[in-house]
This record gives sequence, structure tokens and C-alpha cells, in this order.
Amino acid sequence: MSAKPVTLVSDTSSHENASQLEQEHVHDVYDHIAPHFSQTRYKPWPIVSAFLASIPSGWVGLDSGTGNGKYLPLPLDRPGESWTIGLDRSSNLLNFAKSAGGKSREVVLGDAMDCCWRSGAFDYAISIATIHHFSTPERRKWAIQALLRCLSPDHGRALIYVWATRQDELSKRSIPRASPPAHDELPYKVPRSIGKDVFVPWKLTPGAPRGDSKYHQNVNGKDEISSTASQQTRRTDFDRYYHMFDEGELRLLVKEAAADLGIGERAKANETLSGTAKSGTFLEFVQDDWERSNFYIELRLWTI
Amino acid sequence: MVRLITHNLLACHAKNCTQTKGFPLAFNDVRVETKEAEFNADFLKSFYERKIDWDALVGAAKQLGDTSLPLERPEMVDDDFLQLLHHVLLEIHVEEGEMICPNCKHVYKIRDGIPNMLLAEHEIG
Repeated sequence: MSAKPVTLVSDTSSHENASQLEQEHVHDVYDHIAPHFSQTRYKPWPIVSAFLASIPSGWVGLDSGTGNGKYLPLPLDRPGESWTIGLDRSSNLLNFAKSAGGKSREVVLGDAMDCCWRSGAFDYAISIATIHHFSTPERRKWAIQALLRCLSPDHGRALIYVWATRQDELSKRSIPRASPPAHDELPYKVPRSIGKDVFVPWKLTPGAPRGDSKYHQNVNGKDEISSTASQQTRRTDFDRYYHMFDEGELRLLVKEAAADLGIGERAKANETLSGTAKSGTFLEFVQDDWERSNFYIELRLWTI
Repeated sequence: MVRLITHNLLACHAKNCTQTKGFPLAFNDVRVETKEAEFNADFLKSFYERKIDWDALVGAAKQLGDTSLPLERPEMVDDDFLQLLHHVLLEIHVEEGEMICPNCKHVYKIRDGIPNMLLAEHEIG
């Protein structure tokens, strides 16, 4: 990521249309910076690698927001034993993802808020540095729900990574300090005031490869270049929208997303011991932690 | 790429359609390429036993001009069968064309091997 300081978005609710904001400050930006972005995003994050290494042979999974597809070839020591299908909103990034690691990969142009799959189709899913690009709490919740709906209710496992207000000391960015969250006082609804909405600049250096506008597809698959996109053709500076999550916010959001789908939080081991089995699908948090300026949650679904 | 492994999992998600009725999507006007892929018996067995919608796979393969699979889902999974399954699931690439929802007839285009599952704002359910 760029080492420039962030600019706070004054008020996301003032943007009349959240999808317009995301079109301009997420989708168009990634389509333009795709080749440059892809050159700088090749190293898998260790916790994501470890999660994918723990996936049993024969499982099929979804990488929602796959970008240039850097996680699609993993785990490298067991190629072809599990299959990760990549989904992204940027066709230019998918043009890299479809041959990630030098082999043909399965990729789909789609929105992480939609579930374009048979329900319960996947054994596992990852959503790495994606959900923080949605600009309202509702849209972030829908993205988590899309992930939950496409997971097997019997054994589906997921890993979600988002950017945190709590930044690594090594991070070169300066972020305004967030006030500490008061967990116990939080209502069940994720409050709008939680977290921070920011723009993060991306600078194309002279000579950096640019996204080819011929791949700039709209929903109808036409080669339309949006007015925003054509204006940006010669631009070198782009502002990407991020919602930076506060401590505890991602867990709240996941709980709320699951509850809306009728999925309660319950650990499988406790249930087996207590013997008070009640039928239904449940969600268990396996990991909930912070690493290098990101919060992440690993969860699994189970059904009795 | 759209290979039949992905097609077997994709479903229509347009407004007023359902993932159950909007499956399987029907191929139309396709350009297909065949590329060799690494054979992995464990993955194929697992996908076959736990995930596959057999009728959808046979139907889609037929739409792409491949009629090598038996119509009835085989009980016996031997090496010969896994080789057939491997080819149909992982070696036939749909590069261009479209997929049409059997229920609401929504058309999803495939370009440069990438299916476009995006919906316009008014088409989202």
C-alpha cells in the first residue's frame, strides 16, 4: 500500500448513493491501477496461507474479492487437492487472477454483496481486504451474509480480513487515533459511528503499467468506459475508499449478519458436552484477532 | 475461466429468481477451448461424492458438445470414470458465450473466459 497519510471522508452518509461512491473510489480505481497493484501484491499473508493449508483435500472454496488471485494457487504443496474459485468486481484484476501462479484459475466477475452460487455450495471461503471497501454498515453486513449463504451449513469455514483503526507501529501511515470502544455498551446493531471512513491514495508512478480500458466492463458486459473512467485515464493519483474497523466491530457485524439469517453463535464443543442440543445452524468463532493493521475472524458453521 | 466445475456451482441471483429455480444456467452461443489440466483423483472423488449436481453436469457437457458422461450417476467410481469426469469438469473452457437462467431467462455473458455475474442495481433481489 501507499505510504501516504490518509484523508478522512467527512461523512459517508452525505454521499447520496453508496454504490456510486464505491464505483468511483473502489471499482474504477482498481480497474485503472490493476497492473501496478498486481505487481505489488504477490506475497500471501501468513495467516491466510495457514488457513488455506488447513483446508482438507477435496474441498472447494470461494475467494470473495480475489483481486489478482494471489491466494488461488494455495496451498502450493498440494496443488489441485482443493479448488478456490476467485470472485472480484474488477475485470482488469481478474485478467491477472485467471492465470495466477502460471496456471488456469476459475474466476468470476461479480459483487461480493451478491450470492451468485447454489446455496451452501462452498466448503470454505476467504474474504481478504475486501469488506472494508463497502461504504455503509448495511452493505458490509450484506457482504458477510453473501459469504455465509454460499457456505455449507454443515461444515463451512471462512476467514475474513479487514483493515483496522489500530495500526501497526511499523506502518508508515498516520491515522487519527480512535477512541477506545466500549464493548459492553454497544447495542446489537452495529452503530454508524463505529470505525473510520477514509480515502487512501494510490499513486501511479510515471511508467507504471495502467489498466487497459478495453476490459472496463459494466454490468451488461459492454465495453463502456464510464465518464469517470475516461477522465481518470491520464490521472496518476487515485483515492481508494476504506472503512477502517474498530476493535470488536467485525465480530459484531458477523454476529448481526448471521442472526438475520437465523444463525446463532454457539461453539460446537460446548454443545456436544452440554447435551442440550437444539436443532439449527450455528456459527462458531475460531479466531478473532488483530495482525499488522488488520482485524481478522475465522469462523465455522455447523448444524444439528 | 468458466469450466464445468464452476458452472456446477453458479446459480441465478437476479431479482424475483431463486438459487434453486435458477439452476443450472444454460450455455448458449459458446466458443470452447480444451486445455490439459493436472489429474487429481482425491479432489475429483470428493467433488463427485459431496458436491456435484450430476444432471446439471451431464446437461451442460452436452450443450458444449461432450456426450461422454453416462446419463445415470454411476455407483462405481473407478479410474476410467474419474478420467472422464476430470476431462469434463476441468479441461473444457468456455471462452466466449453466455449462460441463460432456466427460470427468469436472465443472460450472463462470458468474455475472455470470465463470466459476468454482475447485476444492474434494479435487477438485484
